[in-house]
Amino acid sequence: MKKLSIFLISLLLVSTSIFAQGNNEQASDSEGPIEITFWSLFTGGDGEFFNAMIDEFNNSQDEVFMKNDTVKFDNYYTKLTTALAANNAPDMVLVHRGNMLTYVQNNQFLALDDYVSEQDLADFVKAPLDACEFDNKLYSIPLDVHPLVMYYNKDVLKAAGCSTIPSNGDELMAAMKKVNANTDKWALLIDEPYELPRTFISLMGQQDQSVLSSDATKANVNNTSGVKALEYLQNLVNKGYTPSEVDYDSALSLFKIGEGAFYINGVWATGTLEQSSDIDLGVMPLPAMLDQQAAWSNSHTFAIPSSKNVDEEKVKAAVKFMMWATENGDMWAKAGHIPTRKSVYEKQEFKSLPFRSDYSSASESALDTPRTAAWSQVYNAINENIQLAVRKNLDPKSTMEKLEEEINNIIASY
Amino acid sequence: MAIPGNNNKRDGLLFSLPFLLIYIIFMLFPLLYGLFISFNKWNILSGANFIGLKNYALLFQDPKFISSLLNTFEFVLLSTPPLLIIGFLMALAINSKSPLKGIMENIYFIPYIFSMTVIATLWAWIFQKDFGIVNHIIKMYGGSEIGWLTNEKFAMHSVVVATVWWTAGFNMILMSAGIKQISKEVYESASIDGASPLRVIFSITIPLLKPTLVLCLILQVIASFNIFGQVYVMTGGGPHGTTRVLVQYIYETGFTYFKMGYSAAMSYVLFLVIMAVSFIQYILIGKNDE
Repeated sequence: MKKLSIFLISLLLVSTSIFAQGNNEQASDSEGPIEITFWSLFTGGDGEFFNAMIDEFNNSQDEVFMKNDTVKFDNYYTKLTTALAANNAPDMVLVHRGNMLTYVQNNQFLALDDYVSEQDLADFVKAPLDACEFDNKLYSIPLDVHPLVMYYNKDVLKAAGCSTIPSNGDELMAAMKKVNANTDKWALLIDEPYELPRTFISLMGQQDQSVLSSDATKANVNNTSGVKALEYLQNLVNKGYTPSEVDYDSALSLFKIGEGAFYINGVWATGTLEQSSDIDLGVMPLPAMLDQQAAWSNSHTFAIPSSKNVDEEKVKAAVKFMMWATENGDMWAKAGHIPTRKSVYEKQEFKSLPFRSDYSSASESALDTPRTAAWSQVYNAINENIQLAVRKNLDPKSTMEKLEEEINNIIASY
Repeated sequence: MAIPGNNNKRDGLLFSLPFLLIYIIFMLFPLLYGLFISFNKWNILSGANFIGLKNYALLFQDPKFISSLLNTFEFVLLSTPPLLIIGFLMALAINSKSPLKGIMENIYFIPYIFSMTVIATLWAWIFQKDFGIVNHIIKMYGGSEIGWLTNEKFAMHSVVVATVWWTAGFNMILMSAGIKQISKEVYESASIDGASPLRVIFSITIPLLKPTLVLCLILQVIASFNIFGQVYVMTGGGPHGTTRVLVQYIYETGFTYFKMGYSAAMSYVLFLVIMAVSFIQYILIGKNDE
């Protein structure tokens, strides 16, 4: 008897834990605020600022209640994809602009055009909003833009004898030369696994080229622009301006402790650099190292999964939050990201944040992610080939030939 | 497999039904469904297209698949011997007459109870090039820093070191249980005959431990073929793809590139490789038992 009851109890425990998830979904009642379940991927510094925004929104009104569930970034897209495939996604999700295309092409997101007012749309900065449009339909609302920018350490520049902050490629080269000659610091820190390929993509953009053809069906690297971009990066290492074999944490830490004059990373590093570093920090948009300004960029955007029966009320409530969050982009700018609403730039709260205004113009020269479902795999091919070529100082021309072939094979496989 | 005193097949089935149901739903069905997926071009979000064996044909023209498979073999070959030998030495140590054996047993086993992420993050920082403790010690003695995880010559070896530290304790437990089953009399008669401790290990412990050693070897090889987490956390497959292992490529292909069919086909190839290797091991090592 005792054994039987233990068995029954354990069976009960197992079955309730299996079905517990199912029960949660139905718990919303008709009284009180509309509850919106929401998945985001912000942890660490970003997470703090984002949760503060959600709390502020929930406290500011009583019609909508945002229920935020943070998923670790590593697993986020795996979880999102499987949830969408199983029709089990929450009411609203966060998605990077660069990851949207596959979901949009497979009708996983709801077009938002009918739910957003013209007046609100007019307040958005054009480029990031356009980036969320596919076939003239708006599939998500951009919360921010986060391009690569250039950080600099004023003390190191002073010690090297640079009196002004470089504003173009030639001045940057001259400044790096001085740092290299007059100090024992690195002139320019770039981490290898992330920022190196992103800088390569930026350098292509600076020559008014994309790594893919304009219709994103072919590689566009095996040309003088591709060779020049790679040579620029190899040159940095060969001249001893930039260390090779640096991982993300190393580059960030080296810059934090004052071992570098310039540092390329996304705007998201601003928060941690100003909080946990004593260096005399400066930030500017990625300068025109080749012909013109352009920088790799991505965007955090809000989207609504288009499950079979979309609840109109919930969509309206979710859009209400999207508009509130973007209007209050100054709160999110504390994490370093660039707001997407023009009205935010005028706010005193935004202007009083250090550095943000110095680089907010970077959103104008932000590069859009090429529109092909093959992009993730193409990006990996670029990443590996550029890393290898810079590390081993391989011939740029043959590297670009190899990369072109790989990219074209990848695109053909989709 | 009848219940003692009850030859009724129906009762046996009924009793195993709860397990069988869970086994069929969560193991057998996904296994067969995976095989079905491998014959399709499917991006998980929309309908699948049946393409027959094309995914399998593509595999062997894919240099990334080949290199990932080779990297996996490299990991298996590098990690299996130290995991077995160190596990065995630890098992000997905790079955010795040393007064510290209780403490040793705990210390050797503790790493195994931590999750993979904890171990991999810990070792990623130990091996970190500019701020890790290993390079700090090397620099203290006048050496220059080594990119343990960022240099292609060392990256895979560093992952092996972390893995050995993490899981050797599990082999120790299995082998220690095996050693404890060896009858005391055999050891006693050996010591009366004046056998040296080394002689005892090679002539008594290892031969009598053989079934356990074979089990450990097969389990270890299977586990090593499935290497993913440590590589993913410690090197991310880098530098420039030189430590990417097959399970990582399967994961990336499925969930990042949305090629579920291709990904499933690779999983089945890995499945066949592991099955073949285990079978060969079993035949080669098991046969002189007869």
